Amino acid sequence: MAFIKLNDLEVEVEDGTNIVEAARQHGIEVPHYCYHPGLSRPANCRMCLVEPYVFFPPAGAIVPDRQLATGCTTTVRTAPPDRKLDGKYDFIVQTDSPRVKKAREDILEFLLVHHPLDCPVCDQAGECDLQDFSHRHGHDKSRYLEVKNVPPKKDLGPDVLLYSTRCIVCTRCIRFCEEVSGSGELGLIHRGSHDEIDIPRSHDGTPIQVLDNKLAGNVVDICPVGALISKDFLFKSRPWFLEKANSVCTGCSVGCNITVEYKPDGVYRLKPRFHGDINQYWMCDDGRLGYHYVNSEDRLQLPLKRVDDELTPTHWADALTVITEKLSEVAAEDILVIGSAQGTNEDNYVLQQFAHDVLQTTQLGLFGQLPGEEHKFPQFSIEADKNPNTAGARTILGSANGNNVLEGDALWEKVSGAKVVYLVSGAPERPLEDAEKSALESVDFLIVQDILPSEVTELADVVLPGTTFAEKDGTFTNSTGWVQRIRKAIDPPGEARADWEITQQLAKQLGGEMNYHFAGEIALAIAENVPGYGDATHQKIGDAGIKLT
Amino acid sequence: MIEEKRILYEHLDVPDINTFDVFRQYDGYTRFEKAIAEYQPEDIAKMVMDSGLKGRGGAGFSTGLKWSFVPRDIKPCYLCCNADESEPGTFSNRYVLEKNPHLLIEGILICCYAMGIETTYVYIRGEFTLGKKMLDAAIKEAYEKGYLGKDVRGTGLNIDIYTHPGAGAYICGEETGLIESLEGKRGQPRNKPPFPAVEGVFGKPTVVQNVETLCNLPFIVGNGVEWYTQMGPTYADTRANPPTPDPNTGTKLYCISGDVNEPGVYELELGLTSTELIEVAGGLRGEEVKAVIPGGSSAPILTHYELDTRLDFTSLTLAKSMLGSGGIIVMNETRNIVDCLLNIMKFYAHESCGQCTPCRWGTPWVRDIVQRIADGNGRKSTITRPKFGVAENGRWGDTGETEEIYEDLDLLESVANNIANVDTMTWNTICVFGIAVSWPAVSYMRKFRPEFEAAIREGKLVTLSVAEATVPPEENYAYQQRFVPKEFADL
Repeated sequence: MAFIKLNDLEVEVEDGTNIVEAARQHGIEVPHYCYHPGLSRPANCRMCLVEPYVFFPPAGAIVPDRQLATGCTTTVRTAPPDRKLDGKYDFIVQTDSPRVKKAREDILEFLLVHHPLDCPVCDQAGECDLQDFSHRHGHDKSRYLEVKNVPPKKDLGPDVLLYSTRCIVCTRCIRFCEEVSGSGELGLIHRGSHDEIDIPRSHDGTPIQVLDNKLAGNVVDICPVGALISKDFLFKSRPWFLEKANSVCTGCSVGCNITVEYKPDGVYRLKPRFHGDINQYWMCDDGRLGYHYVNSEDRLQLPLKRVDDELTPTHWADALTVITEKLSEVAAEDILVIGSAQGTNEDNYVLQQFAHDVLQTTQLGLFGQLPGEEHKFPQFSIEADKNPNTAGARTILGSANGNNVLEGDALWEKVSGAKVVYLVSGAPERPLEDAEKSALESVDFLIVQDILPSEVTELADVVLPGTTFAEKDGTFTNSTGWVQRIRKAIDPPGEARADWEITQQLAKQLGGEMNYHFAGEIALAIAENVPGYGDATHQKIGDAGIKLT
Repeated sequence: MIEEKRILYEHLDVPDINTFDVFRQYDGYTRFEKAIAEYQPEDIAKMVMDSGLKGRGGAGFSTGLKWSFVPRDIKPCYLCCNADESEPGTFSNRYVLEKNPHLLIEGILICCYAMGIETTYVYIRGEFTLGKKMLDAAIKEAYEKGYLGKDVRGTGLNIDIYTHPGAGAYICGEETGLIESLEGKRGQPRNKPPFPAVEGVFGKPTVVQNVETLCNLPFIVGNGVEWYTQMGPTYADTRANPPTPDPNTGTKLYCISGDVNEPGVYELELGLTSTELIEVAGGLRGEEVKAVIPGGSSAPILTHYELDTRLDFTSLTLAKSMLGSGGIIVMNETRNIVDCLLNIMKFYAHESCGQCTPCRWGTPWVRDIVQRIADGNGRKSTITRPKFGVAENGRWGDTGETEEIYEDLDLLESVANNIANVDTMTWNTICVFGIAVSWPAVSYMRKFRPEFEAAIREGKLVTLSVAEATVPPEENYAYQQRFVPKEFADL
């Protein structure tokens, strides 16, 4: 640990920390644009200038260094005892001296000379570093009288637009494409004040390569100004109207930490959230843009039951009565309960408890999204398993029957022999393979709990409307054993309910003794009963998650 | 009459000196052979240190000191020869490359031997097609004769030279910009530290030297340190205790252009004054000297009051200017300084690499302000303010007079100083391009302020007489409160 003097504070920071981070750790803002902790540091924006102090032998005193230093590239190290400043400090730095403040003002003035100042129509307004830092550190008026550069607006790829006029050429996006995604689509064209970010183009301007890698959406996040804009979010909402819920991406088993940004009428966008061991600062576009089903008009809002070979809306009491009647008719060994790898640990725990305690069956299966493609990037990976909670669901369902959860061919073989199947799906747009379809068709009575009409619900006798990740609390366990929380953002549509609530209601109707009030309560039960999940209470998991040992 | 002192250029005019055989007749490669026969590598490095040779590329940094920063235990180590001579007003390296390329190769060999270097890259300005052709031919010959390649002359040294043409960017003459370009990247300077001596080409220690610096090495080795140090003045830096010698030894290839009768490259001992130099170059064309740019277009301008300033590294630093690359541009009374500044600012605005914020957007802004003044659209306030200057008590303060406010001149000075502050010599940019922009902008404007004011007042370019146009040296502000040179005494 290095002992440094940061303005008037005496603080300890780890060796190798740069000044921007050291200041951030102690609540001091050092404004910066080009520096991003997940990328290399070219120090080209010159915004994070700070004033280091050095020992000046002729004067025998510690004086401000002649040149200001960029905070992002100046790292702190423990000095040998004879090189300590003032006998004790490893480093002395001022982040708010008059010189530093003047330098910041000057840099901001330069950054704004060609900026169109179109905040009123800019998507980034409200979360724009240029806006914020100008407000906090900049001049209040411009001295620039000349003609501004007006480089063209560009379509870079399927989801990314570039408003070149707003660009401050911090090159974060270029470095991201080189270092994290490894695809290198972006580069600078022209020189000097005519610098523009662009994709490779032929002479007539047609793109040779577009920004369509699976991580392209991240360049919008890291753009400190409104230059790179997501087409998906363009003109949808002002960021300050959006509320935020910390959650986990359901796109694959990596379990990227995300923030769900929403209004009462739906989810507006997903943004990655830092997790050092899982996703760093990034998420993939499959996950980022894969939330639209949550807002779908087709969402199941009422329970459905089959009347005259057609699914007709009904009310909960009726649907549950139909199911309980059917379930009490058949023997336990003819009932198959299938949990979902899209469901939370809590959903699956209540489900296995229902199967074990109420139905007294040991026949449990696991259903989920079909496997997809795996993608590897230099600093990121997308896994083939497209379910967020395969590991968790497998363990938790397995705790009821000695870890004998049926999956794949074994499951569908069992399905074709079962009389009643209670299938929890929750996987949006899940196609059915032929074997799966014929197996489900052969079932006498199929109860499906799902979020959207699909091939599965078409075969069902009763459909119960469940909820998506944005509408419930719970936990997911990713492929590397991290248990992480998702949080309720919006209300479920219509009369849809959290999956565990539905299962619990069913259990109650069948005389079971279950009385959970909220997901955290179930997590406590999981912690008590499922081996390995001893610490996995919502309180302990928090925002950072915990790793199963 | 001052004589040229030709050392590097001594045999420049010999026919076919670019061929190995002719070069050999004029002691070619004997200095290298002497180096490997008589000296250890450390001895050569010490000789260079003792000779006081300063880098001729622009910064004037001691070559021996630069070599001492190179870690000896990290291999490979590279030599990178900077032949990207692109400072306006400079054209001395070009003649060496075109006429006497073997001299450069010999210098490279000595440097490689001294530093244990096996690979050299010569980064040649793209426009020097003839220079590159000649150098390539000379390198080929040197390979054939066994002075390059594996086991040079049976000494066990392996030395290779590769030439690399630039693509026309001024900034690739900056050493780290050059290295980036050499590595195949966009020519944008790196943050320092680490300096190239520690982390240069391909992340390895690299010695970056100008052509002229390397060409000095054969003569230092061949004729000895004592012979070399007799040329040029050596000052004593009395700020240190005891005073440290501050050598300005050797000769310099002065490229004299502008309003002189015989412009060209003149090899002269360091330490001559501008007046003497103009005399060497066939005298002034015109009536009187209005201004002299001493070291390429980025150097602060000297007025006719400063013509007795000696054109060496130390004296020009004390005069708050620099020798730079030795590109001396003389202007007579017909030149309009606003127009000159506009010309220079157009160049810099075009050549800014655009990497860091102040330079990217500051240099075109400065150009636009000067353009506006030159177009006659400069702004002048209708109100006045108290004039600051040397007051009655002889100190800096309120003089009791009032002055008119020329808003655009204030803006020009402020914007230029925000890129790089010429008073405190601090810059907010990554490389020294920033100071190369604000130095001319601020010095021209301060020293020839009447001409700028006239352009704004009259709404058009007005060329004043030399006496009217120049701010007298009593105005310390314009001359940036020069050092009192008594701190530096002749040794």
